[in-house]
Amino acid sequence: MKKIAKKLMTLGTVAALAGAVSIANAETLKIGLAGPATGPVAQYGDMQKIGVMAAIDDINKAGGINGMQLEGVIYDDACDPKQAVAVANKIVNDGIQHVVGHLCSSSTEPATDIYEEEGVLMITAASTSPTITEKGFQLIFRTIGLDSLQGSLAADHILGTVKPQRIAVIHDKQQYGEGLATAVKSKLEGNNLTPVMFEGVTPGDKDFSALIAKLKKNNIDFVYYGGYHPELGLILRQSSEKGFNAQFMGPEGIVNSDLAKIAGDAVEGVLATAPKSFDQNPVNQARVEAIKAKGEDPTGPFVFTAYAAVEVMTNAIKATGKTDPFELADHIRANSLDTAIGNVKYNEKGDLTESTFLVYQLHKDGTKTPAQ
Amino acid sequence: MSEFSLYLLQQLINGLTIGSTYALIAIGYTMVYGIIGMINFAHGEIYMIGSYVAFIVIAGLLGMGLVSLPIILIVALIVAVVISSTYGWTVERVAYRPLRGSNRLIPLISAIGMSIFLQNFVGISQGYRDVALPPQVVGGWTFGDPSVFEVTVSYMQLMIWAATLITMTALTLFISRSRMGRACRACSEDLGMTNLLGIDTNKIIALTFIVGAALAAIAGLLLGLYYGVVNPFVGFIAGLKAFTAAVLGGIGSIPGAMLGGLVLGVTEAMTAAFFPSEYKDVVAFGLLVLILLFRPSGLLGKPEVEKV
Amino acid sequence: MQGKLYNALFASGIALILTCLMVGIKLDTEGTQLAIKGATTQQWLWIGLGIGLVFLSQIFSDQIDSAFSKVPKPQLSKLLPEEKKMSVLKPWLIALLVVVMLIWPFMVSRGSVDLATLALIYIMLGLGLNIVVGLAGLLDLGFVAFYAVGAYTYALLSEYFGMSFWACLPISAGLAALFGFVLGFPVLRLRGDYLAIVTLGFGEIIRILLNNWTAVTGGPNGISGIAKPTLFGLEFSRRAKEEGNIPFHEFFGIDYSSSYKVIFLYLIAVILTIFVIYVINRLIRMPVGRAWEALREDEIACRSLGLNRTVIKLSAFTLGASTAGFAGAFFAARQGFISPESFIFIESAIILAIVVLGGMGSQVGVILAAIIMTILPELAREFSEYRMLLFGLLMVIMMRWRPQGLVPMKRPHLELNR
Repeated sequence: MKKIAKKLMTLGTVAALAGAVSIANAETLKIGLAGPATGPVAQYGDMQKIGVMAAIDDINKAGGINGMQLEGVIYDDACDPKQAVAVANKIVNDGIQHVVGHLCSSSTEPATDIYEEEGVLMITAASTSPTITEKGFQLIFRTIGLDSLQGSLAADHILGTVKPQRIAVIHDKQQYGEGLATAVKSKLEGNNLTPVMFEGVTPGDKDFSALIAKLKKNNIDFVYYGGYHPELGLILRQSSEKGFNAQFMGPEGIVNSDLAKIAGDAVEGVLATAPKSFDQNPVNQARVEAIKAKGEDPTGPFVFTAYAAVEVMTNAIKATGKTDPFELADHIRANSLDTAIGNVKYNEKGDLTESTFLVYQLHKDGTKTPAQ
Repeated sequence: MSEFSLYLLQQLINGLTIGSTYALIAIGYTMVYGIIGMINFAHGEIYMIGSYVAFIVIAGLLGMGLVSLPIILIVALIVAVVISSTYGWTVERVAYRPLRGSNRLIPLISAIGMSIFLQNFVGISQGYRDVALPPQVVGGWTFGDPSVFEVTVSYMQLMIWAATLITMTALTLFISRSRMGRACRACSEDLGMTNLLGIDTNKIIALTFIVGAALAAIAGLLLGLYYGVVNPFVGFIAGLKAFTAAVLGGIGSIPGAMLGGLVLGVTEAMTAAFFPSEYKDVVAFGLLVLILLFRPSGLLGKPEVEKV
Repeated sequence: MQGKLYNALFASGIALILTCLMVGIKLDTEGTQLAIKGATTQQWLWIGLGIGLVFLSQIFSDQIDSAFSKVPKPQLSKLLPEEKKMSVLKPWLIALLVVVMLIWPFMVSRGSVDLATLALIYIMLGLGLNIVVGLAGLLDLGFVAFYAVGAYTYALLSEYFGMSFWACLPISAGLAALFGFVLGFPVLRLRGDYLAIVTLGFGEIIRILLNNWTAVTGGPNGISGIAKPTLFGLEFSRRAKEEGNIPFHEFFGIDYSSSYKVIFLYLIAVILTIFVIYVINRLIRMPVGRAWEALREDEIACRSLGLNRTVIKLSAFTLGASTAGFAGAFFAARQGFISPESFIFIESAIILAIVVLGGMGSQVGVILAAIIMTILPELAREFSEYRMLLFGLLMVIMMRWRPQGLVPMKRPHLELNR
C-alpha cells in the first residue's frame, strides 16, 4: 500500500512538474486527445488519433503556430462514462486547455461539464448527440453534423426519392442509433408516412433471424437502420439468406469498409447519409498522402473531422494571437474558419451551421457513390 | 397453412437453431459445475477462440486454393477442437487447479480475471474489430405459399442441427458407456470418494475441461460460419446466455443443458416475433427467474438434499 | 531430472500450440475476402522467447519455488501491535487516519483527489456487497442493479422535482433497499449458485428496462445535468446555476478555484464512507450480524436454534442494497450524467472481486482491495492497450498468491490464560 501511495505521489509530482514546465515553456502547446484506445470501439478512437496527429505534424512542419510547436497528448477513456470524467479531470490537472474529443456521445456528455467549468476548449470530432451543445456551453464545439440534421436528410430522401410503401425503422438502442431513428421517424410521421415497425435490437447481438422473419411478415419494403455497421452487416447478410429483399438505409456509422466484408453482395445499393468523403477531395490530396506515408488509413469517417478540429483551434490561435480558451471560443463563434472539411461557421450553440451530409449509395466492393 | 402458423414455424426454426448452439456451449458449464461446483466464466472465451481458429484455418486453406468445402470444414473443425481444448486445459491448469480446496468464490474471481485476460489477449493479437468471413455454406430450401409467407430453412441451419445432434449423441454415449465417462459421473457424485477408489480425479477434471472446450469449439465453428462474424467480445455474451441455459435446465445435468439451451433459444425467438425485440433478454431472464421460483433446481436438476 | 525435462518439453509444446495460431497468424482482409498473414519476425521472436521462458521455468521449477517461498508473504496481521496494545492504540490510529484523509486532498493534485473519490465509491459498494457475500454468504452477481437504482433515483428526483442531493440521499438508499427487499423475498429460498444466476438476471433486467424506458429515464441517452451537491445551499460552480444562490467562493470572498468542487465531493465521499463503515461495524456486533455469519457457516444448525433464515437473509440483502443505493446517488452526483452503460455486468464482477480479494467479511481488506482495484487500472494507463490484459492477469495472480484475501477476516475471540 505504501508503495502505491508513494508511486501515486511521485506520479502526482511528475504531473504537476510537467504542468509547470508547460506553462513556463511557451514553445510547445499541448493538445489533449481524448477517446477510446482500448475496448470495443477502439477502432473509431484510432481514426480520431490519425487525424489529430496528422494535423499536428503538418502544422509543426509548417513552422508551428505563433512560434509554438504543438504536441498531442493521448488520453484513453475506453468510451466508459466513468473513465471519461477521470480523464477530463486529469486533463485539467495536467494544465491542458485545448482538447479534441471525446468520441462517444455518452463519454463526451459528462466530460463537457468539467471542461466548461474549468475553462478548457473542447472540440469533438465524432459525437453527434444534440444534447451535448444544448446546455448553452461557451467552450464546447464540434466539427461533425448533428444526428437531427442527418435524420431529416435521410427522411427527405425517403419521402422525395425512394417513396416506399411500408417502412420499418430499426435501431440499436444506443444513444447514437436511437437518436437518429427517432429523428427519421418523427419527420416521416410529420409527412403522413407512419412507419409500420419501430423497434430496437441488442447491440452486440449476432442473431437477427427472428427480426427478419417479422419484417418479412409485415411486408416491409424499406428499412431505416439507426446504428453502426456490425449489426447492420449481419442484418443484411441474414436478410439475403432468408430471401428478404427490402431497400436498406443507414447513417454514417454504417459507412465503413467492414460493412461489405460482413454482408458481402447484400451491401450493393444500400443507402447511407454520410459526411462528404474528405479524403476524396482534391484539396486534401497532400494531407491524404502524408497520412498514407505513415502507414495509416485516411478513409475513416472521423479522420478529417478530427484533423479539422485541430485546425479550428490553431486558426483561432493564429488570428487572435492568444491561447486563452474563452477568447478563442469568441473568435470561433464570430468568424468562419478554413479547414480540411471546408469553410466552417458556427452558431451560438457551437454547432456547425451547415450540414455536410450527403446521401450515398454503397457498393459491394466497399466504395460509395452519391445517390441520385 | 395459414400465415400465422407458417410464421410461427419459421420462428420456431430460428429459435431451435440458436438454441442448439446455446446447448453446445452450456454443456461446458454444466460438466465443470457438476464435478467441481465452480462457474467457469472463461468458458465463453474458449468458444470465441474456437471461432477465431476456425476462421484462420478456413481463410488459410481458401488462400492456398483449396476448394473442397467438406475438407476445409473438417480440417477447421479438427484444428479448432485441438487448439480450444489446449486452451481449456491450460486455463484449468494455470488458473483453477492451484486454487482447488479454497473457498468456492476464489476460482470464480480467477475465472473472471481469465475471461478479461483472454478477451484482451485475442484483441491485441487479432485486433478488436469484427472479422468477417464470406458465406461458405449457401442456399437452403423454402416452402409455403410465397404470397402468404415463405418459410426458409438454410442448409447452414440444417448443418447446425445435424452437428448438434451428432455431438450430443456422442457425448451421451461417452458419458454413459465409456470407462472415462463412468469416472466423470463418479466424480460428480463424490469427488473425494472417487479419489480414494484409485481414480486420478485431477485427470478427470482436466478431461471435463477438454471435452467442454471441444464442444465450445464446435459451436465456435458452426456459429462462425452461420453469422460470418467474430470479434473478441462475442464469447462473453454467448457465454452468459449459455450459462443461463445451463442453470435453466438444472446445472450439473447434461440433458438439462440441452433442454435449457433449446428452451432459451425458442423463448428468445418467440419474444422477438411477437414483442419488440429489445425485450428479448428481459423475457429470457424473466423466464429463468420464474422457472427457478417453481423448480429451484432447474428443469432437470436434482433437488439438493440438505445434509447435516 | 528426466521427468523434469519431459515436463518442460510438454509445457513448451503446449505453449507453442497456444500461441502459434492465435499470435503467429493474423486474420486480415484483402478487398472483401478474408485472408491470413504471418506475424512479423519480431513477433515470432517474442513467441520463441515466451516458449523458451516456459521451458526454463519448468526445468528450474524447484529452484523458482524455493526462491518464491523465501519471499515473505506479507503478514499484515503481524505488522500490527499486540492485541492489548492495539485496543489502546486503535482509536488514536483511526483518528489519525481520518485527519490525514481530511487534510490530504489540499496537498495533492486534482486528478488524485478525483481518483480517491472514485475509490471511495468502490469502497462503499464493496462494503455493501461484503454484507451479502462475505458475511451472509449469499452469492450476488447482480449487485450493480441496486447501484443503478440509487443513481437513477437521485438523477430522476433531481431532474423532475429539483430535489437536493442531501434530501435524495436517504431516499435513494431507501428505494434501493426496497428493491432489495422485493427482489430478495422470492429468490432467497434458492441455494448457492442458483441465487447467483437469478441475481445476475435481475441485474440485466433492470439495466435493459432502464435502457428501454426512454420516456422516463431517457433510455440510452441517460440523464445529464444532474445537480451537484451543495454546502448548505452554497454551490461550487463559477456562477450560481439557480437564481438567488451564491457560489461558495463568493460567499467566503475567496478566489474561484476549480479544485474546491472536487475536494468538496471527495469530503462528502469520505463522510459517507465513514458513516457506512460505522453503521456496518455496529451491525456486525449486533445479534443480526452474528446471525448472518452463523447462517453462512451452517444453515441447518441455525434453523434448529430457532433463527428465522428468511428474515436474516432478507436483512442482509436489504442492507447491502441500501449501501449500494447510497453509493449510486453519490456516483450520479459526481458524474453529473448517468446512462445504463455505467451499470453493466462487469461492474458487478469488479465489486465481487473487491470483496473476494479483500478477504471475505473483512472490512479492512475490502477497503484495501477497493483502493487497489481502482488505482491499478489508472497506474496501468502507461501500458495503454495492454492495460486490461494486465488487469485480468493480476486478478488471476492475486487469487493464487493470496486465496484467503489480503486481510482475512479475524473473528473477535477471547483467549483464556492458563
